[in-house]
Amino acid sequence: MMHSYQRLSRSGRALVGLGLGLCAIGLFSWIMQLTNGLEVTHMQNAFSWGLYIAAFAFFVGVAAGGMIISSSIYVFNVEKLKPFSRIASLSAFGCILAAGVMVLLDLGSIQNIFFLFLTPNLMSPLLWDVCVVTAYLIITFLSVYMQMLPEWQKDGFFLAAWTKKRPAEEVQAFSKKWSRRVALVGLPFAVLIHTVTALIFATQVSHHWWNTAVLPPDFVAMAVASGSALVLIICMFTVGKRGFAEHADAFNIMAKVVAGALVVHFFFTLIELLLNAWNGSTQGQELVHILFNEYAALYLAELIFPAIAMIMFFMRRFSYNRPALLIGSILVIVGAFAHRMMLLYPAFNEPALSLNVAGASIKPWVVPLSTGRPDLAGAFFSTSFAYVPSLLEWGVTMLPFGIALTVIAGTITFFKLISEK
Amino acid sequence: MRNGMVIDLEKCIGCQTCAVVCKIHNSLPPGTWWNRVFTQGSVEHQAAVGDNGNFKMEFLPISCQMCDNPACEKVCPTGATHTGGGGELLIDYEKCIGCRYCFAACPYGVRQFNWSDPKTAKIETMGYVSGYPLDCREGKAAHLVYTQNRHKGVAEKCSFCAQYTSEGELPACVRACPGKARFYGDLDDPTSEVSKLIATRQVYRLKEEFGTEPKVYYLSSGS
Repeated sequence: MMHSYQRLSRSGRALVGLGLGLCAIGLFSWIMQLTNGLEVTHMQNAFSWGLYIAAFAFFVGVAAGGMIISSSIYVFNVEKLKPFSRIASLSAFGCILAAGVMVLLDLGSIQNIFFLFLTPNLMSPLLWDVCVVTAYLIITFLSVYMQMLPEWQKDGFFLAAWTKKRPAEEVQAFSKKWSRRVALVGLPFAVLIHTVTALIFATQVSHHWWNTAVLPPDFVAMAVASGSALVLIICMFTVGKRGFAEHADAFNIMAKVVAGALVVHFFFTLIELLLNAWNGSTQGQELVHILFNEYAALYLAELIFPAIAMIMFFMRRFSYNRPALLIGSILVIVGAFAHRMMLLYPAFNEPALSLNVAGASIKPWVVPLSTGRPDLAGAFFSTSFAYVPSLLEWGVTMLPFGIALTVIAGTITFFKLISEK
Repeated sequence: MRNGMVIDLEKCIGCQTCAVVCKIHNSLPPGTWWNRVFTQGSVEHQAAVGDNGNFKMEFLPISCQMCDNPACEKVCPTGATHTGGGGELLIDYEKCIGCRYCFAACPYGVRQFNWSDPKTAKIETMGYVSGYPLDCREGKAAHLVYTQNRHKGVAEKCSFCAQYTSEGELPACVRACPGKARFYGDLDDPTSEVSKLIATRQVYRLKEEFGTEPKVYYLSSGS
């Protein structure tokens, strides 16, 4: 056991270093963006949300999944997963922190942010999201804190300083009682953050692709799949190759959770596709064209990668195999990211303002939109735009990735997260 | 009071004067258009559409539709987008956080973002900054909803020329239209010119199916 932790501490430190490096790249890029404005991105008026919002939705998803796993362990008393409830909570905390940072980096005028609290518009789903994401940040922190308290008391960690003079049994009992309580509150909130994030999009009647009641439940399904996949990766990394056999049953359960959630996700996806294809309207045809023609590569990645993982995770041969679990989980996470990007392309490339003009050869006629970006090849008006994030946009996005990596890898490296059964 | 606009497409000659005069009066940076005019059904402006010898050329000027049920105002998290006393939708530039949710919400694509610093962009391309009467350029009111130079990172759009209409004058596009195709006035007042036109002519509004209730009415050509 001792040996495996020493191994972890070396690669763990390397990961923390990588995380801090990503943070540095992100911070530098963000300063460039603050200085020059959002013109450093490749967004424009007609494609006003890009990589940042996709990454935000992605982080919210994996964060929700982490807490759903951790809370379920307490609520449904899943014995075999108990050693990993701390890691699941930690994954949720790291990712929601990243999500919060990501959405701040997307703002054009962050200096006006305090008006969110001074003059909030209660009708705005974005404001609801600010509230639930903040609440979730607090809940996931408390979840990690309550579960780690006995460890932190032993280590003399400053966050547990108040327990210094208390007997270990008392702190243990306190930790147990409150971990359970936080888990009970955490479960509905985990479902809620992703539901509200989906509502940001689903409330918008002018975007056919978003304006569907299936979007929030599908977001939750994808969150459970991608969040559990991330927890699975972190857990396997933490116990190492040597610890795999001991916890193989737990990993099998997680893999089945991922696969089950993907079944639900594909069920929703197929119904959406069927309704659009069957409908036969120009709008439906246009959508199918965007999905399977213009953005086929991205859309097929969204469909095929998780589908492969789903099939693998249902098979005993793979769900007890470390490399297979690792590859499958990565496929799910990549698929989830593609899913978030594909939230944007069909929505922004299917313009709301199209009219059927009698006698016109183009049907429907799409009213061009001003780009607001004369620097982009001098185009002043456009009807559709093939958005590809700029290098600096990727740079800025490294900040939340760096923060999540630093927090998660740092905590795992410097504290004992696997609790005894 | 609910101020609205009526655009008579029968009289519109697609000259783009309204778009240009709007750009100058409201000091719009390059690439930004609060008001745009296109030929319906055509890729090229001023190119006729049709077949079998039935050709026609109709235009469509589009600016903020000043909705009574505005999608942009509902989504704005800070209340930067708000409805003024005359029913006009305005943006408080000092409250806008630049989240661009309103861009995703607006079905008409009239929202414009300041991707870079607009003043620098204007000086670089034109060498000067136009627009706004001198007394509108300074002071608190000017700063909140209309100002010659917006900050980078905020949204902007047509305000029905709030700097003029608040003084009882007509919007620049209404005054400048050579075909006198644009009418502006109180929709709640049955004796106003706009109310009379709506009551007597065949009018339509854009994308009524979204339930946005625009205050901009179009008189269809040929009605």
